[in-house]
Amino acid sequence: MSSVVISGDTSGAITLSAPAVSGTNTATLPAATGTVMVSGNMPAFSAYQTANQSVSNASYTKITFTTEEFDTANCFASSRFTPTVAGYYQLNGQVQWLNACVGRFLVHIHKNGTYYKRGTDINATNFGGVVSTIAYANGTTDYFEVYVYQQSGGSLSTDNSYDQTVTWFNGILVRTA
Amino acid sequence: MLYDKIIAIYPELANFDFAKGVITLQNDGNGDYIAKWEHPTLAKPTDEELA
Repeated sequence: MSSVVISGDTSGAITLSAPAVSGTNTATLPAATGTVMVSGNMPAFSAYQTANQSVSNASYTKITFTTEEFDTANCFASSRFTPTVAGYYQLNGQVQWLNACVGRFLVHIHKNGTYYKRGTDINATNFGGVVSTIAYANGTTDYFEVYVYQQSGGSLSTDNSYDQTVTWFNGILVRTA
Repeated sequence: MLYDKIIAIYPELANFDFAKGVITLQNDGNGDYIAKWEHPTLAKPTDEELA
């Protein structure tokens, strides 16, 4: 090994702690440059809906998620996830109807206000659907939301009867940029 | 409902697939609006027509 360099330009301290057990433990660093991921810099959130939401016929509608289960980096607000660490995120969402939707139904994740990934796309009687993807976020301005589309012929109401189980949105950083 | 107002103006759109993105209605939390209108022959309804 040629050298170990620890550098910084702000005050404070860096502490590398050994495990509190005897023996040899080895952490191998990859031959790559990047941000080390630790629990403190990996945004994760989970939110769900606590009030029924009316969704108009044939209109892509942003789903509101009013209650947070957790939001480790304060990146979720106004039903929008805006991660503060650049990287690749696993995102998942589900929307359920209070009563059956008889007709077309889509669930989307929007990125920066426009369509990004489509999940469930069904043209039959249904009670909801899901969307899941991995998406890149720049850690500053990129944001994600869940939208649905239904063409049943009239307005439909989302279901929040079971709190966090039916209409929800969550995500986590899986690797930094 | 915005969809109903559009169909009242253009009944021929009753069987149109609004999910395809040629005509997109959207609600970001402040009510329905026309986010995109790229129909090849029908003009986008005016605010007055939709009022």
